[in-house]
Amino acid sequence: MAENNLLEMRQIEMTFPGVKALNKVDFTLRAGEIHSLLGENGAGKSTLIKCLTGVNKKDGGTITLEGKEIQPQSPQHAIELGISTVYQEVNLCPNLTVAENIFVGRQPMKHGQIDWKTINRRASELMSRFHLSIDVTRPLSYYSTAIQQMVSIARAVDIQAKILILDEPTSSLDDNEVQLLFDVMNELKKEGMGIIFITHFLDQVFAVSDRLTILRNGQLVGTHKIEDITKVQLVTEMIGKDIDTIFSLKRAEVADGEADMLVATHIGAPEKLEDMSLNVKKGELVGFAGLLGSGRTETAEMLFGATRITKGEIAIDGSKTEIKKPFDALVAGMAFCPEDRKRDGIIGDLSIRENIALAVQARKGFLKPISTKEQNELADKYIKALGIATPDAEKKIGELSGGNQQKVILARWMATNPKVLILDEPTRGIDVGAKAEIQRLMLEMCGEGVSVIFISSELDEIIRCSNRIIIMRDREKVGEVDGETCTQDQILSIIAEGSTAAGGEAS
Amino acid sequence: MKKKFDLTAITKSKLTWAVVAEVLILLVCLIVRPDFFKISYQESTGMLYGSLIDIINRSSEITIIAMGMTLVIALGGTDLSVGALVAVSGAIALKFLRWDVLEYTTPGDYTVCSYALVLIVPLVVCLLMGLFNGLLIAKGGMQPIIATLILMVCGRGIAQILTNGKQFTTGYSPFRVIGQGSFLYLPMPIIITVVVVAAVALFVRKTAFGTFVESVGINRSASRLSGINAQLIIFIVFALTGFLSGISGLIYSSRIMSNDSNNAGLNYEMDAILAVVIGGTSMTGGKFSLAGTVLGSIIIRTIVTLVYYFGIASEATMAFKAMIIAVVIVLQSEPVRNYFSKRAKKRAYAVKGGVI
Repeated sequence: MAENNLLEMRQIEMTFPGVKALNKVDFTLRAGEIHSLLGENGAGKSTLIKCLTGVNKKDGGTITLEGKEIQPQSPQHAIELGISTVYQEVNLCPNLTVAENIFVGRQPMKHGQIDWKTINRRASELMSRFHLSIDVTRPLSYYSTAIQQMVSIARAVDIQAKILILDEPTSSLDDNEVQLLFDVMNELKKEGMGIIFITHFLDQVFAVSDRLTILRNGQLVGTHKIEDITKVQLVTEMIGKDIDTIFSLKRAEVADGEADMLVATHIGAPEKLEDMSLNVKKGELVGFAGLLGSGRTETAEMLFGATRITKGEIAIDGSKTEIKKPFDALVAGMAFCPEDRKRDGIIGDLSIRENIALAVQARKGFLKPISTKEQNELADKYIKALGIATPDAEKKIGELSGGNQQKVILARWMATNPKVLILDEPTRGIDVGAKAEIQRLMLEMCGEGVSVIFISSELDEIIRCSNRIIIMRDREKVGEVDGETCTQDQILSIIAEGSTAAGGEAS
Repeated sequence: MKKKFDLTAITKSKLTWAVVAEVLILLVCLIVRPDFFKISYQESTGMLYGSLIDIINRSSEITIIAMGMTLVIALGGTDLSVGALVAVSGAIALKFLRWDVLEYTTPGDYTVCSYALVLIVPLVVCLLMGLFNGLLIAKGGMQPIIATLILMVCGRGIAQILTNGKQFTTGYSPFRVIGQGSFLYLPMPIIITVVVVAAVALFVRKTAFGTFVESVGINRSASRLSGINAQLIIFIVFALTGFLSGISGLIYSSRIMSNDSNNAGLNYEMDAILAVVIGGTSMTGGKFSLAGTVLGSIIIRTIVTLVYYFGIASEATMAFKAMIIAVVIVLQSEPVRNYFSKRAKKRAYAVKGGVI
């Protein structure tokens, strides 16, 4: 069995100051195999990959590629060895063209000059292999994140890799795009490439992988063939706890006569969203379903003043509120965890303490500083309450894992005691355990009377948590269903059929 | 328990290497001139004299501007207009102080306008010009380097127009005090600098302003979505930098008791940026160090002094200055710092081993 292993990692050890990140982990990959690597945040997946791609140097153990021991020194060296990686965040240059991005650093030359014709032709060919007919001479930023993701995979594939590592490639893709990616993965698999697939979407693991390896707290839990394991077993192994204790979430209870906390009437902004109305009751959790780009995020941004509305009005707690900028929304008692945590959420080089205190401080203005002592109390309180995994509050937020970063952002807003909390994809790219915790926190806040707007691409979590679900399509509200009684199929059909779904308005 | 002496952290800090560089340059100065550290008291002026005092005194203009520049750079920008604003400030001051040729034959101890105007108008004008920079950047969305290029280019022109292209001189003694007077045995520019540095440091560190500047510099979008008024922060920083350039301009023109639209504040923007960078603040924005900037400014001035002491021909001074600065910057570069911190680590292990 071991003879046809493409890659063997044996007894890998890695220690960071104070933490044993990897403790004698074994991992094997065969040629022509899709192997999922699973585990919660901080389980050691990224560290293991980083040892393989030369980002970190392992402290112990051996890595064997095609029978030969290798010591990847740097990402560049790993690529030369045939190990290509596509990261969760697109690692390309948005201002270069698609073709340039694919060939940057290894442009074909002709007469001492870059051969643009060949570059563009080969780039087109490559993209058509991914069933994408796009203009490769346009700048990358012109295209959606999904296509950008494809471009970075195309780049990795074209380097003639033996091993392709996909680190959360699907977190910003919608279902069709995911399917497209899977087709490409299966094709590459047929060509004999070994693919390591890291994701938090368990459905996808079962849809595409051959084997899977589970890590927990830097330890190997086990490697299984996909047909030998069930989803429940998998989750239990990942979190080391019984799944029921985590998934027993209780929906928020809203009294019938409860007053509206947030009412938006016919709000709109040019080129964003024409017309949108919604209301959220005190302590109610309203879910937003719809595809990417359906107007969910735009609605959230308009409510919070990130996009200035040009028509309509917003009332909070019964009083009309003019929201021109996020600061106004903050003062009015709103809070907003944006979709793109890295771009719009974290202040990477500031400490956890400073990040948590930021919104409270912004509301007070800079002339009334919160003392370091108060900041520390605030930080310690939320590190404890939300279970943020960090040695202390002075660690830079940029050095935390995704789930912990999300918790810090959540803490930033919880610290402002908001009346309305808007969460845009708060559980994207974080593991099952942290996801459940964030859902629990969300519902706890509802219980304390906070109105929550919850946007997510994952229908099951929306259905599990929401009192009401608003369905968006093509920048329009196309339906509204009751969270307790609706089914996934019902929502999907409304998304598919659009505003024709007459039953949509019954709530 | 005693706090551990962390050699690794110290060797990793850019500030450490700035201190090392300064000490080295001072040692070279000491070798060239054995009486370099000597400080004497002169009764006639009531001031202390000595090379060290002189270095700090002469670094005042840059230090004051660099306080603002530190914040500008922490925001991820640069302000190229500061040198031109120094010229504008001096031109306005001298316009009000000018030697009235029709009435007097020599520049004398008098002023055309009230002394308050002489001080206030230049500062207000520079503040407004800084606000103009801020407006272009915050509202207009221009890149700071381009936006401030406008005033860098036309600022000296404005100064020329204000003074009709003339160079005024004055002998008004209250104005002389700013650049040549003394207080508490020290030259007045040092006192002004200390006050400015203290005021800026208190403003940014005792309020949350510094954190907001860092936050906006690291991630403007996220800062805005956290409720920080990023535009206001940008306005304040650029207006402050303009204002500080105005103060610097008053000191400069008081030293020469004249205005010089062509040479006043020449290349100050570069020296100020350099002071900030030597002080350990990254050009990409984010965390900043005001103390580092002060040290950076003093280092630059020490180098200039050293150049004089070596008696290098004036044509070559710039090249020599550049050479030393290059060495300082290389000393602070990441590979060098990492090299030394690794060595420090090894030594730490060795010491531990010895104890056991």
